[in-house]
Amino acid sequence: MASLITCPHCGQRPKEEFTIKGDASITRPAPDAGADVWYDYVYLRNNPKGLHKEYWHHSSGCRRWLIVERDTVTHKVLSVADAALTKLGGAA
Amino acid sequence: MSSHRLSTGGRIDRARTIKFSFDGKALTGHPGDTLASALLANGIQLVGRSFKYHRPRGILTAGAAEPNALVTVGTGGRTEANTRATMIELHDGLTARSQNRWPSLNFDIGAVNGLLSPFLSAGFYYKTFMWPAGFWEKVYEPLIRKAAGLGKASYEADPDSYEKCWAHCDLLVIGSGPAGLAAALTAGRAGARVLLADEGFALGGTLLTDGDERLGAMLSELEALPNVQCLPRTTVIGWYDDNVFGAVERVQKHVAEPDPHKPVERLWRIIAKQAILASGAEERPLVFGGNDIPGVMMAGAVRSYLNRQAVAPGKRTVVFATNDAGYRTAADLEAAGLEVAAIIDPRARSDAAWQGKAKVLSNACIVDAAGSKALRGVTISSASGTQTMDADAIAMSGGWSPIIHLACHRGAKPAWSEAHAAFLAPERQEGLTIAGSAAGLASTEACLGDGAQKAAEALETIGFARVEPAFAAADSVPPAATPFWFAKGSKGKAFVDYQNDVNLKDLGLAVREGYGDVELAKRYTTNGMATDQGKLSNINAIGILAEARGVSPAAVGTTTFRPFYTPVSFGALTGASRGKHFQPVRRSPLHDWARKNGATFVETGLWYRAAWFPRAGETTWRESVDREVLNIRQNAGLCDVSTLGKIEIFGKDAAAFLDRVYCNGFAKLPVGKARYGIMLREDGMIYDDGTTSRFSEDHFFMTTTTALAAGVLTHLEFCAQTLWPELEVYFASSTDQWAQMAVAGPKSRAILSEIVDEDISDAAFPFMSARTVSLLGGKLEGRLFRISFSGELAYELGVPAGYGESVADAIMQAGEKHGICAYGAEALGVLRIEKGHVTHAEINGTVTPGDLGFGRMVSTTKPDFIGKVMLAREGMQAPDRPCLVGVKPLDPGSSFRTGSHILADGAAATLENDQGYVTSSCFSPHLGHTIGLALVKNGPERIGEKVMIWNGLRNEFTDGVICSPVFIDPENEKLHA
Amino acid sequence: MPDVLISRPALAGQPVFQSDKVSVEAMAEGHLLQVMGATAMQALQSLAADAGITETRVWPAGYQQWFMAGERTLTSANLEAFTRQLAPGVFVSDQSHGRVRIRVQGPCAAVLISRGTAVDLDGTSFAEGHGAMTLFGHISVHVARTGAENFQLTVLRSFAQSLYEELVELAKAL
Repeated sequence: MASLITCPHCGQRPKEEFTIKGDASITRPAPDAGADVWYDYVYLRNNPKGLHKEYWHHSSGCRRWLIVERDTVTHKVLSVADAALTKLGGAA
Repeated sequence: MSSHRLSTGGRIDRARTIKFSFDGKALTGHPGDTLASALLANGIQLVGRSFKYHRPRGILTAGAAEPNALVTVGTGGRTEANTRATMIELHDGLTARSQNRWPSLNFDIGAVNGLLSPFLSAGFYYKTFMWPAGFWEKVYEPLIRKAAGLGKASYEADPDSYEKCWAHCDLLVIGSGPAGLAAALTAGRAGARVLLADEGFALGGTLLTDGDERLGAMLSELEALPNVQCLPRTTVIGWYDDNVFGAVERVQKHVAEPDPHKPVERLWRIIAKQAILASGAEERPLVFGGNDIPGVMMAGAVRSYLNRQAVAPGKRTVVFATNDAGYRTAADLEAAGLEVAAIIDPRARSDAAWQGKAKVLSNACIVDAAGSKALRGVTISSASGTQTMDADAIAMSGGWSPIIHLACHRGAKPAWSEAHAAFLAPERQEGLTIAGSAAGLASTEACLGDGAQKAAEALETIGFARVEPAFAAADSVPPAATPFWFAKGSKGKAFVDYQNDVNLKDLGLAVREGYGDVELAKRYTTNGMATDQGKLSNINAIGILAEARGVSPAAVGTTTFRPFYTPVSFGALTGASRGKHFQPVRRSPLHDWARKNGATFVETGLWYRAAWFPRAGETTWRESVDREVLNIRQNAGLCDVSTLGKIEIFGKDAAAFLDRVYCNGFAKLPVGKARYGIMLREDGMIYDDGTTSRFSEDHFFMTTTTALAAGVLTHLEFCAQTLWPELEVYFASSTDQWAQMAVAGPKSRAILSEIVDEDISDAAFPFMSARTVSLLGGKLEGRLFRISFSGELAYELGVPAGYGESVADAIMQAGEKHGICAYGAEALGVLRIEKGHVTHAEINGTVTPGDLGFGRMVSTTKPDFIGKVMLAREGMQAPDRPCLVGVKPLDPGSSFRTGSHILADGAAATLENDQGYVTSSCFSPHLGHTIGLALVKNGPERIGEKVMIWNGLRNEFTDGVICSPVFIDPENEKLHA
Repeated sequence: MPDVLISRPALAGQPVFQSDKVSVEAMAEGHLLQVMGATAMQALQSLAADAGITETRVWPAGYQQWFMAGERTLTSANLEAFTRQLAPGVFVSDQSHGRVRIRVQGPCAAVLISRGTAVDLDGTSFAEGHGAMTLFGHISVHVARTGAENFQLTVLRSFAQSLYEELVELAKAL
């Protein structure tokens, strides 16, 4: 776990300001994607050793959902990006 | 002047006398003393009894690593057990008591354990208390806990306050010895933001002991630099991810009467761009028989007491040292006019150019010390045989171990250095550099240079240009390191870990029995446990294990260093979050209105909600609640519902968004209307419910339950930002903006008509209307909703929070002639159970809309919404799922409780026969008996069935009947009145 | 009907704390607007002026979010005009009663606020005009610098009393 996250909007903040939701690499399936795909999406999560992308919510700051890429072994944070802007192909 | 205090010298203020007590005896000392130095000055060496054998123990060190001199200080709620006498700054009124002795320190019955020591060796507990199994908890453990142990905590509340803070700096310097001071000066002169923390009450580290005359000027310069903050009495306790450090500042631990407004301790969380670890080195004890007899001390500690507090621990000292440090102590003792009986050096020839009077015995070692409560003499073994010598003090030095604890908190492993005969941590890690003797350097000049160079280097990595080191680099000759793990041929117990009474033989036994791995040996022998975590003992234990296993200490390795470096009080970790400030309190804007109407409050999360409003003559809560409920069904009531979550939703895609987060449709909700909505989780279970109203095409207003107000907003933001970022939708929590009042009951329209300017007749303002309205003749605007939780004709009126009390007063005044009453959360609960409305008692994470009778609300036409796919699973539609029903007792005079289970009539009370359970229950004053809502298998098909309501916890059985969950007005005539 | 319709401040009755190190004081509950959407501080200031909202100051409060606050109370006409000015794509939520401002000033103001928040308040990185949504202890606040030794904390109304009491206790300990 990191102690500090550098929010792209607010700057460096302590982890206490954030809430973690989990894997950010999964995509919500289409309604007709089939039972197996939905089962994976709703119930199954990897627990990777090493690099991991997670959703972190800056709940006590700007209230933006961020994608934090971090190393679960070294706890080093490699990148923090705004989830919506990333998905829309924008910066930040 | 007491006998052990020298007449001159030291860094103490002899003009002032401090009064303190130890074991009830009145004693004195001076400012500049620690409790340990003051005890020594008073000739007190025996300060405690050991953990297991109750052996007499004295003061071993002059610092944080002290394993022996653990005392209880303070009285009442300020009692603090197991504090190190070496770290306590002497202050007026200090009361200290020795521990682990009975009836007295001088005569301790527990010392009989020493005679039993053959049976108390390593692994003793594991081997002895195996059987009978039931004895462990009832007999053995209480006995062991009584016999072994440290001090006792107080049962009284701590009267003092604590606080926390954050700090930021370019460079954090940990330790204010030569390396730390040089680093701080270098960084301070370069204009960097510097924090310099040291656990001592005086800055200077070994410069204080050395009497180095440069210290004064260095400290004055640091004091004068506005960008440097010095933190004495501050222990850095942990190094955490992203270069955040934890530190505890003892703000008022050294004063007789703490200022009640100020904290006694402050927990710092320091965000440092760079840090220099200049924590110095720990001197190693030597392992020989009787090395724990009071009078045996670390050589550095002897020198520290001599030079800093002008205290002579002994009149006739034997120095036993494997390195030059012992010679410095001998020289200082002789300079102070004290006798050094001999210098015992295990090395072949001492390379210190010893000029003093004491004779040096090379190739020699102390094998045994003699004495019990005080040292009497030593037995020395050398090439020429053994000899004895009288002495009242031993100053020992087994070499130096760099203090690298903090540098290993984030996973770095200490590595054995043959050259230093010590474990070193990686000198340069990201954000942290080790300098000075913590990096294995020996001389003061080398440490000064190293601290300065490394500070300059650290600052340059964070963008400072060409920082000038405050001191020049000096060559460092590593101390000639010859590890000497233990004296061979000792007759007495040779202690490795003083605090845990682990001796040489215990470690040998651990190896022989297969517990030679360093982590196993720690658990098997307890070496390195408890409050000091092996600060002194670990290195010798590793050396002894290595020798017993025939490998290098490198192969043994160390146990894992974890925060905290030294024990931290719960108070410091808690900070101000205790008692009333344990957590923040959220106050409704109608709090004072409720209070003046006599409310009894109940905590609901962080909120205080009015639970009921007792009136004169009412003696039980039920009387008040029954009256409130009946009055609402007959007349009207006003309830504060401000704590419900409120979210403003804006954007051109707001309607489309709501269609995706609710399982029922919202896109076509007309402006000016409210709709009940059910939000599912992605697994198809209900997440939350509430009403959402539309104020304009692109502005909706959502309400959530009180419990999930924050959760729902977070969920909406997650959906909007990560699932559908292409939608234009914004959220603003407005929970705190509105004072929200539910006005319910048949008279509610008549009452509100006097408050609301617009026509609110059923025709003009039918059920589920939601509009901005003008109030009190245009004085104010509010939001009016015709929604009902009670099943009565009802409204909710929201007004800007500040006006809440005034408007509530106005409604009560207008309602007086209509018999209005204030009602609380309890009556609200009864009203909704009577009407069969659900809350989170029913929405328990395992129910689908169909389970609660909302199956037909779920949209079949929307292409997608959260939970749609998973809700369609076979099991979610299974006919025998527990579904919402009502339940009532067969005999109206009997009752049942929430949580009771439903059994088929005549079925045995077993889990296999469980048909469901009562989710909510109350006494219905309207019906005159208990009613309940329940989730029961095939529930709706079983209406009218006689069942058994079973409370297994209390062994209560009530005959009941399954019924409709709507107990009041099933045709909704009241609602639409 | 009652003639007296008053707005009762959330911190009514909380005494001003004053020492030579710091003062803590509730600010008048005038207006506080939360603006959301793709716009900029300067545009907001002028659009607000067009809607008759003057004596207001705009504070950044996160991505595409601003607080506009001042001591004047606004009319619904002001708000409606501002809503129209901002449209389309930018939205305003009236939080004049939902959030409460507390003034903290004095030579130790930054030290006091650092007891609760991890935001670095150093003058070079957090200069006048800077604002940040953050945590103060367990309470979410917006911290803004209004001068070298002057700060404004904006907090949800229901938490205001808890925060105020905590600030005063910490101020006494300085």
